[in-house]
Amino acid sequence: MSSKIVISPVTRIEGHSKITIHLDDQGEVADAQFHVTQFRGFERIVQGRPVHEMPSIMARICGICPVSHLIASAKACDQILAVKPPPTGVDLRRVMNLAQIVQSNALSFFHLSSPDLLFGFDADPAQRNIIGVARSNPQLARDGVGVRRFGQQIIEWLGGKRIHPGWVVPGGVDAPLAAETRDRILSTIPEAIAAIERALAWYKSALVQWEEEAASFGDFRSAFMALVDKDGNVDHYDGLLRVMDADGKLLADRIDPTTYTDYLGEAVEPWTYLKSTYWRTLGYPEGVYRVGPLARVIVAGQLGTRRADMELDEFRRRLGRVPSSSFHYHYARLIDTLYAAERIEELLRGPDILSPRVRSFAGINSNEGIGVSEAPRGTLLHHYKVDDDGIVQWANLVIATGHNNLAMNRSVRQVAKRYVKSAQLTEPMLNRVEAVIRCFDPCLSCSTHAIGEMALHLQLIGPTGAVLDEIKR
Amino acid sequence: MTGGVLVVGYGNALRTDDGLGWHAADLLADDPRLAGATVLQCHQLMPELALDISVAALVLLVDASHALPAGTFTVTQVERASDAGTTWSHHLSPPSLVALAHELYGRAPEVFLVSAGVESVELGDRLSPVVEAELPRVVDAVAELVASRAAMTGADPVAEPAVTAVAPADPAAERTHA
Repeated sequence: MSSKIVISPVTRIEGHSKITIHLDDQGEVADAQFHVTQFRGFERIVQGRPVHEMPSIMARICGICPVSHLIASAKACDQILAVKPPPTGVDLRRVMNLAQIVQSNALSFFHLSSPDLLFGFDADPAQRNIIGVARSNPQLARDGVGVRRFGQQIIEWLGGKRIHPGWVVPGGVDAPLAAETRDRILSTIPEAIAAIERALAWYKSALVQWEEEAASFGDFRSAFMALVDKDGNVDHYDGLLRVMDADGKLLADRIDPTTYTDYLGEAVEPWTYLKSTYWRTLGYPEGVYRVGPLARVIVAGQLGTRRADMELDEFRRRLGRVPSSSFHYHYARLIDTLYAAERIEELLRGPDILSPRVRSFAGINSNEGIGVSEAPRGTLLHHYKVDDDGIVQWANLVIATGHNNLAMNRSVRQVAKRYVKSAQLTEPMLNRVEAVIRCFDPCLSCSTHAIGEMALHLQLIGPTGAVLDEIKR
Repeated sequence: MTGGVLVVGYGNALRTDDGLGWHAADLLADDPRLAGATVLQCHQLMPELALDISVAALVLLVDASHALPAGTFTVTQVERASDAGTTWSHHLSPPSLVALAHELYGRAPEVFLVSAGVESVELGDRLSPVVEAELPRVVDAVAELVASRAAMTGADPVAEPAVTAVAPADPAAERTHA
């Protein structure tokens, strides 16, 4: 008799979700699904609102990565205003976006994932948490606090507000950078870089013990997508889309992101609120691709900063040009964070960073705008249509977690097949199924634009639909 | 005692009475009885606060609570957690935060939690009438506690801000803590 396992809620991720694992008549895993069970509907909420309100409204999608939505939204508004922000305004937006990358990546790696990596997936859950990390490896825990704080402080110092800063506006930013603020940020960079490098050294030393997990944590061939600059190097703020297949061949390159609908399809399923984005030419659901830190370090020719490029070279020597396992998101996330810290320093040392000209002004000059940037979890698209008065008529958001939805489902299926061996759930089994989702660091509040707390609900369901076992936490 | 007074008002300011901590922090930031204190607002207690707590002389956390009747509040001293529990995520309970400060930085001052009951946590940026009426008493309780601890320890709790910039930025802008 076949059956189904449900994990609900899934813990140590951003938002509400549930996992169901279906067993076949032989008791083997036949299928697994990652359900996102929260919904808010920002695409509908914003209809009828003036376009200049969009960045502030959209930033409310998420308390973890509001800056990402602020950036993508402001860029979409730039297009509607047909306005080009001054170069310094662009650079300051870049700094804030990179600070967001740092703090969110730090949250994912240090606070959410390091307990598993430090203690192992079979460890006692009472130990496998931040207090356990603090007791076992206090330097790692202190570095986690320090790196996240570094990113958050930059956001606060630039935006004048810790949460949902309104500093990024259509046309640029609403205030120039003070020399004192620049110097204060610069003074914190050396320690941030040192902390990230310590974490990288620790992670690389521990990597060998995770070979089994790496072989089953979403290890499959797929394409990867991210923004790159004109030279093919990583670009978190702007640029063109590049898609690389599992063999390192470019499926598409230098795609204008505003033509995303020509390449990306969006599918919905009745069992989840999270849309699944797919590569059109491969169809649905075969057109799976991945975005985020792993995609960024794979598709980019180079990153463009000294330390990060050295780490990228080592990453590629260790894992190859296109590592197929989603487990390596952790490694890539640290390199991505190192790059961000280095790049922030470069930008702040630019000769014009204190220029008072940081914003351009205009009225409604276009009825449509598409803003694209790299958020911590991957490529983020905001697409708006407005009437001649600038009132929003329609909005579509393509969020990193949506890009990764097919890949996350495939990963959960793979882990379930490897580790779920009976109709009774065990903690290590549960944790591995959760942990593979954490590799992607999904932000469910963003991807469904919904309210939620971390939670996990796992159900094991038989062929008749009966729930054979269930864990909630 | 290496620092001054740190007040953290937390909760969701867009969830009616769950925003009690934010409203209290707004008033306390301008309250002359707490001049010089560091007053923060955040949605959740984040691990990053452990550093700020470790260098403060006295910490007061102000939050809403489902467990109390609306129009009432309690003041309790927070003890360090001996166990972080099994499902730690990206926010901490007050006892876990105190424990983290101890583990990472070797010290934590006295930490008090001021909890106020809620009537509603529906969407809204204003307090319910009953909780709004209670708000001044919550603020007074914080100020009186600061004064009483200063009298007991002989320290000037408002002389030195604990830290100048904290960014327990964000989290879950829309999560309920009550």
